[in-house]
This record gives sequence, structure tokens and C-alpha cells, in this order.
Amino acid sequence: MTPTSRTLVRVPVWPLFVAVAFAAVALTALVLIENQKLLGAALAITAAVCFCAARFGGVAATEVAASENPWLLRGLITVASLAVIFVLRDDNFGLLMLATVLIYATICLGLTVQMGYAGLTNFAAAAFAGTGGYTAAMLGQQGGLPDALVLVCGGLVAVFIGSLLILPVLRTRGHYGALTTMAFGVMFNVFLDANDFFGGPQGLKLPGINLFGWDFTNDIHIFGLVLSSYVNYVILTGILTALAMIFVGLLDRSWVGVWFDVVRLDETAASVFGLKIAYWKVLAFTIGNFLAGLMGAVYAKMTGFIAPANFTFGDSLVMVSIVILGGIGNRWGVLPAALIVVLLPEKLQFIQEYRLIFYAVLVIAILTMRPDGLVARRVRKLHTEASA
Amino acid sequence: MGTISKRGLAALAVASVLPLAFGSFSAAFAKDKVKIAFVGPLTGAISPHGIGGRNSAELAVKLMNAEPSTKYEYELVVLDDECKPNVGVQVVTKIASDRSIIAAIPHYCSATAIATVDIFNRFKMPMVVWAAVLPEITYAKKYPEVHRVSGILIGQNRIGAQFMKARGYKKFVSFADSTDYGKSMNKYFTQFTLENGNEILGSFSVPPDQQDLSAELTKIKELNPEVIYFGGLTPLGARLRTQMAKFGINAQLEGNSGIMGDAFVNAAGPELAEGTLTFFDSPPLSKMPGGKMFSDAYKAAGYSEPPEAYGPFAYVATRLVMETIEKVGPDRAKVTTDLGDVKDRPSIVGPVTFDDHGQNITPLTTSYVVQDGKWVVWEESEYVSGKRKLKNLP
Amino acid sequence: MGMIGQHLLNGLMQGTIYGLVAMGFTIFFGVMNVIKFSHGDVLTLGAFGGLVAVWAANALGLSVPLQFIVALCVAMALTAVVGAGISHFLIMPLRNAPPLNMLLMTMMVGTAIREAIRLFFPNGTNPQRFPELLPAGGFNIGPSFFRTDAIILIIAGAASIGAVYWIINHSKFGLAMRAVAEDTETARVMGINFGRIIPLTFALGSITAGFAGMIYALYYSEINYSMGLLLAVIGFTAAIVGGLGNIWGAIIGGYLFAGLQTFVVAAMPSMSDYKNVFAFVLIIVLITWRPTGLLAERGSERV
Repeated sequence: MTPTSRTLVRVPVWPLFVAVAFAAVALTALVLIENQKLLGAALAITAAVCFCAARFGGVAATEVAASENPWLLRGLITVASLAVIFVLRDDNFGLLMLATVLIYATICLGLTVQMGYAGLTNFAAAAFAGTGGYTAAMLGQQGGLPDALVLVCGGLVAVFIGSLLILPVLRTRGHYGALTTMAFGVMFNVFLDANDFFGGPQGLKLPGINLFGWDFTNDIHIFGLVLSSYVNYVILTGILTALAMIFVGLLDRSWVGVWFDVVRLDETAASVFGLKIAYWKVLAFTIGNFLAGLMGAVYAKMTGFIAPANFTFGDSLVMVSIVILGGIGNRWGVLPAALIVVLLPEKLQFIQEYRLIFYAVLVIAILTMRPDGLVARRVRKLHTEASA
Repeated sequence: MGTISKRGLAALAVASVLPLAFGSFSAAFAKDKVKIAFVGPLTGAISPHGIGGRNSAELAVKLMNAEPSTKYEYELVVLDDECKPNVGVQVVTKIASDRSIIAAIPHYCSATAIATVDIFNRFKMPMVVWAAVLPEITYAKKYPEVHRVSGILIGQNRIGAQFMKARGYKKFVSFADSTDYGKSMNKYFTQFTLENGNEILGSFSVPPDQQDLSAELTKIKELNPEVIYFGGLTPLGARLRTQMAKFGINAQLEGNSGIMGDAFVNAAGPELAEGTLTFFDSPPLSKMPGGKMFSDAYKAAGYSEPPEAYGPFAYVATRLVMETIEKVGPDRAKVTTDLGDVKDRPSIVGPVTFDDHGQNITPLTTSYVVQDGKWVVWEESEYVSGKRKLKNLP
Repeated sequence: MGMIGQHLLNGLMQGTIYGLVAMGFTIFFGVMNVIKFSHGDVLTLGAFGGLVAVWAANALGLSVPLQFIVALCVAMALTAVVGAGISHFLIMPLRNAPPLNMLLMTMMVGTAIREAIRLFFPNGTNPQRFPELLPAGGFNIGPSFFRTDAIILIIAGAASIGAVYWIINHSKFGLAMRAVAEDTETARVMGINFGRIIPLTFALGSITAGFAGMIYALYYSEINYSMGLLLAVIGFTAAIVGGLGNIWGAIIGGYLFAGLQTFVVAAMPSMSDYKNVFAFVLIIVLITWRPTGLLAERGSERV
């Protein structure tokens, strides 16, 4: 009789508390600190702590604790997020950056489903996000549609545009597949630049989000405190990111995830075993595009402006590198990767001019030295519970 | 327990008051710091203009801080909008949402400015535009925060159309960029040229960073106009001029304030730039009331880049903002109100008066032509005397 | 309609540039199974190198034709060295990595080169004026104006394409290159010096970039730090459409793309800004119809 792991071994939960608290403190510090020297010190300390944690098994302990107590983890994250928001309640630009990081992270979550799970190459993630953004802009100009619907439409239009690419994406593989999405991304950009109806290079302006009657441009007055209007956006993106993470996690753990993996790893074997490859690839492509379009719409409405220059091939490249940097296929990896890629260049003033070259060198270094990314994807463990 | 003697008490009293006296003494020497922001294209093809503006704004701050009688010490926060609307939106959101920055002096590029006006209004940050000439920036909406010291493009196109008619030109082609700036230029050019009874054979609109103009130039060659009107900024203008020559198109180039400045002549080369016309809402630096003082101070400050066409305006805008803060204090609302009352304020470019939309109504349009690699006032050039001739003169 | 000659000339010019870039891509893929996306930015580097060479030659008082030759040599040498260097230090060590990683890395290398030019070349963010080294003017045939320099460049470009083709298919070095591309192990067994052929192959591919960069610079008289990016995408597209690894395919692909662009411009002049949109859409359709390119890639997949 094989005992199940649940009854015999008690997994310590304190690593979870420590990890979440550390993450919250580090995040707040990085957003708040303006002084360059202090910031550099904070970054060094954070990196050192992470490195030590990885070396001495802290990360593994946290992962085990997290997988055994998912609800505790969610509760801790919620409390920590509220604490972070409270501390940052006045810092308009810091909140804006935080929301941007979450938006990028969610788009990259969608990209993880496409690239990390199903093995599709997508070099047009930014273009799909842009589709959602432009949908929001055009619907905003028409008026009349409630914003919740507008955001969802952003996702749906991205899915629709993606469906036009389905045939080429399915029929091509490897480099040829990369070309399809790349060509689409460039074409999307050129089309919007040339087209006057969508605003051309001048771009379009959008109204902010007004969700179920609550106008996001209002500051929140709660318990005698005034929270900046950007807190609205942080909460919205936070909720969307959390939902996306849960969804993608469920996907990964379910039989859908297993079949994605088979399709990715060996298409011929998969089809031999009767899997409809096309079906699973289309599903992954659709899910990823929906997330991209949705968050693109949120981003456009948050900044109040959209232009083709926001969604270039370079931006798609940034998203692909976030996925790779974080560890391809590991959905938790996109969060720190998005943080590094989006937040750091804004904060580190001295590299403002040099941020692109710095970023390129960083990616090259990671690819040559640590190709698995920051948080490598764990090998799937299939729990087999023997019946007594 | 002993009692404190009277002497002791007196000593204690003096001891406690002295630090206060010292404190206020030193406070008289330490001025409060006030932050204002400058936004312009510091990188990219338009950077000569942005850098010239930034240097001029920095000069204004430096000279103001050197005056001992001022109440505040000014710090200029400099931001780069790359002449792109989306970057402009990003940096303006950053400074507008930062309450420690009191006012801004934004934008050379009209396309960027029209995208960011709403943000200034949303965060109630007063600003004075230093170069962008699109009328809609001040006139589309009546935002109390928005002001502008440079002119608007309607005047230059009106004068330009009259000028070309006076020279006897009849057949025109319009070549503009596809941003709101180019569209607006084209609109007013078309309106005034047709009013003057001339003919426009065709209109072309291209994105500002399009490299290859062969398609459009092939068509223009077919149309064979006497004049090509250009409504856009320096990089595209220089590209147009260069490729025009390669196609053997021998038309006269009529420009706009966007190509005013050394950058155009350097980019196209003095031989190709020779004889290009443009219309600019300001007399040359040498003729401005404060022109000599400005150019001397600029040289003394040691900047290697020239102030370019709009540098003096950046200086004026910055100076205006600082003078207002001196008067009403570092408060966004008060600065906004006071900027609404600017009438005949003396400045190096002449008296500045804002109308009810915050637009400076005093600039005058002057006609310029490129002669020997420099922009020269038309009336003083060798073209008006007949020694040199414009192209395609009928 | 009389402008057909004009359009034909424009199209040939573009096609030559694209064809050269595409050839480079196809050479890299054929030999090392790698898409070297930094190709476009190496092209830019070549153009800038040529510019510096012209300035230097001008300062030394050399005659214009000599300046031209010096610039060309410098551009080609620079791109050859940089291209070979990238392959030796970054691509070869990683040749067993997943193709996506390699692709991403070469894209980043391209970005690094582009940014380095932008940051470290004096006034790098502004477009640089490239001096006129070819005879100006031209002649009229009907309503079309044939620029002399364009004719020269097209002929030179076609000649260089021919030269590279000849090297690959009719020289001993080319034979070694094709052997390595076909079957690395056997080639080495047969005594081909792998360690020498690979860098030389990359150098050859990169020289096409140098040449294309110079042609571009001389035709437009203007270069800027980001000119390589779109050229790389188009060149890559052309190579894929023609079938990766196939030299003829790359050349045809390049002229095909230019042809598509020209067709759009000629037939619908008011929609000329859409020329790239149409071209890319047609490419996507082509790829769907023939997923491995027009001239099918010779290769098989181990199951």
C-alpha cells in the first residue's frame, strides 16, 4: 500500500510567507526609490537574496509550499498586493508603471501558451495587442458600448485577426512559421501608418475606462485616504493578471496541457496517437491572442492614446524575450522578467540613452549562458495515486 | 534641587534663540528649489532643433538663477519626446503626474503636441509651447493650461501664397507628411493658393520617415509643376530635395517653418538648398529686440550646437514661466491663472500677448531664401535685386 | 502608362538590393541552419563604414572614382570581418541550441549593432548625407528619366550577384561550402577544413551585405542607423519565399518582392504607401500555398 504524500509529510509554509513578503517589499522599494545610488544598492541586495534563495533550496521549498497550499498563496498575494498599493497610493507614475508591467506580463502569459506550451512561434504579439487597442479606440469613438464589453471586444477582434493567419501558421513550421507572424506584424504596422481612417502615424486618442459606472479617472476616497486614480488601473490589471495566471495554470495542469506538450515536442508522434494537431494549435493560438488583445485594449485606454509606433516589431521582440528570459513555458517566470524589462529602464536614469543596447546585451548574455531562463520550467510530474 | 539663577535663565534664553536667528539667517541665503520641465526632440532626425531649444531653455534658467533678487532657484528637468506622439504622451504623463514639477515648456513637433494637450489639462499643469505651429494645439479646445509663444502656421501660408503669386508662379504641387502637422499645412496652403487664383496639380502625403520617394516623384515629374510646396519637417524636406535632384525635377521648392534652420541646409547640402524659399513667423535673430543679448549670452555659455530657428522662443517661454512663478509662487493653479493675463510682456523676440486661447498674437511672418548656405531675409538677398534667380520663373 | 520604364528601373534597383540581402540569408541558412537576423544591421554597419572611408579619402584628396573604390572595399572588408566575427563568437558555440534561441540572439545582436551606431557615431540619430560618388544626371527615354547612377548600380549589383553565384557553384571554395551545407560530418571526413570554411562562408554572406549597403547609400544619398531593419525583414522574406538554402530562390525572391511593390505603386499610385502591406499579404498567401518556399528546400526531417 503506497501512502499518499499528503498525509505523511508536513510541508513547511513559512517559505511562502517569506517569499511573498520579500517580493512585495522589493517591488515597492524598486518603484519608490528615485535616488540612483540607493536604487543600485537595492537592486544588488534583491539580486543577491534571489541568488542565495535559489542556491540554498529556498526557491524549491517555496514552490513545494505553493503547490500544496494554493489558496494560502492566493490569499497572501492578495494581502501583499493591497499593502503595496497602499504604500504607492500617491505615486502616479509608479502606479502607471506597475500597471504596465502587469499588462506586459499578461500578454506574455498568452505568448507562453502559444510558444511555451504549444510550440508556435509568434513574432507578432505586439501587433495582436495593438489590434485590441485599436478596437477599443474605434469603439470609443463610436461610443455607446459599455467598457467591459469594449475590452472583451478587443480580445475578440484580436482572435478574429489571428484566425486569418491560422492557415499559414498551421501549414508552416520553424523558421517559416516565424516568417508568417513576422510579416504580419510588420504589415500591421505599415498598414496603420499608411491608413488615415485609423489615425495614421498621428494616432488616436481614447477615453479612460469607465467600468460599471465607476470612472477610472477619479481618485479613490476610502477610509479617509486618497488613492491616486491610477490605483483603479492597477487593481483592474492585477485582477486580470491573476485570472489569467489561474486559467493558464489550470490549462497546464489539465489534460489540455499534456496534449499541448505532446504537440510541441513531437508532432508526428502526436498525430500517430490520434491527436488532432490543428485543433490544439488553433486553441493555443486563440487563447494567446485573446489575452493579448484584451490587455492591449486596457493599455490603450489607460494611456489614453494609441499609435502604430506603440506596437512595432521591436515590441514583439521584447515580448518574446520576456518569455524566454523568464524561462520558456514557466508562467511564473514572466512576472519577474516583465518587471526587469519594463521597470528597470524607466528607473535607471543613467542608462536611459543606452537602455536598448543594454537590453540587447543582457538577452544575448542570458541566451548564451543561461538559456533556460531565470525560472526554468519544471518537468511535469504526473501524480499517480494508487488506490488502496 | 537648585534653582536656576537669573543669569542662567538669560543664558538659556539667548542660547535657545540664537539657533533660530542663525536658522533664519541661513534660510535667507537658501532659495527654495522649483522644478520646471522642458520637452523636445533630443534624439532622432529632428534633434538639432530640440537640442537648440534645450540649450536656450537652460540658458534662460542659468541667467535667472544668477540674478540674486529672485525668490526661487530653478531646476530644469529635460525630457526627450523623440518627435513621436506616443513617446510624447509617455513623458508628458510622467511630468504632469509629478506634482513637484510646476510647469512645462513643451514640444517642437506639432504631431507630438496635439497628442499631449489633453494630458496637461487632465493633470492641470500649465505649459507654454515653444515651437509647434499647428493651430489646433491652442484653438481646438479652450484649455486654460495651454499657451504658446511661437506663431501658428496659418499666417505663414497666407504670406507664402501671396509671395508666390507676386513672383508670377501658377502651377503648384503639394507634398506634405501624413501627420496632423502636414495635413494642416496642406490645408492652409491649398486654401490660400487657390484664393490667389493659382492651380494645384496634385497633392501627395507620405509618412514622415518614408525613405523611398520614387513613386511620388515619378508622378510629380509627370505633372511637371513650377513649384513644389513642402509641408513637413527637416528630414523629409532634405530627402525630398535630394531625391528631386536625382530625378531631374527642376521645380522651385517652397518650404514652411519646419525647414527653417541650419539643419535643413546641412542635410541637403548648400548647393541643393540654394534658392529654397520659406516663410517663418519671426524676424532673424539680429533684428529681434533682444537678439544680440541672446546670441552673446548663448555664445558665452559655450554651447557647441546652434540655437536653431526656435531657440529664442524656447528662451522666451522658459523666462515667461519663471517670471510668473516669481510673481505668484510655485503653484500650478496660480501660474495657470496668471499666464492667462499676459499682455505686452517684453521679451527678446518682442512683446508677447496671449489671446483668450493662450496664443501669442504678435509674431510677424518674414520671407527667407537660402543663399550661400545660409537663410537670408528675402528683401536683403541677391534674389530680390535680380542678381540671382529662383527656379522656373515664368 | 509611359512611366513604365521609370517603374521598371525603380523595381530593378530595389530588387537588386533585396536580392543581395536575401542571398546572404540563404547562404547562412544553407551552411549552418541559422537565420542570422543581424544581417540587415551588418549592412548598415557597412554603409557607415563606407561613409567614414569616403570622408577619409576626401580629406586625403583622392579623386572621386578612387574614393568610390576605397569606400566599397572598406564596406566589404568591414562587413566580412564583423559577419565572420559574429559567427565565430556567438553562433558557432550555440549551434546546438533551439532554433528560436538562435533567432532571438541574432536579432539582439542586430539590435546591439544598430544601437551602437546610433549612440557612438557622431550625430548617429540623424540621417547622414552620403556624398555623390557616381556621375549625376541621366537621360530621357520618352517620359521616363533614367538616372545614370541607377543604371550603374543595377549593373554592378547584378554583376555581384552573378559573382557570388559563380563562387558558390563553380569554384573550389564553393564546392567545399556546399559540401559542408549538405552533410557536415561527411565533409569533414573528406578532409574539408571545417574551421576555415565556416568563417569564410559567413564572410562571403556578409560581403553581400556590405555591397548592398553601399548600393543603397549611393542610390538614396542618405543613410541612417535603422535602415537595415526593414531590409532584413524583406530580405528574409525573399529568401524564405524562394526557399531557404536555394541561391536562385533568394535572387528570385528579392526581385519578386520588389516586383510586387512596384506593381502596387504603378497600378494604384494613390495607394503607394500600401505597397509593403500588399507585398507582405501576398507573401503570406504564397507561404501558405507553398510552405517550404517556391523552389522547395531540399531537406528531410527525421521522425
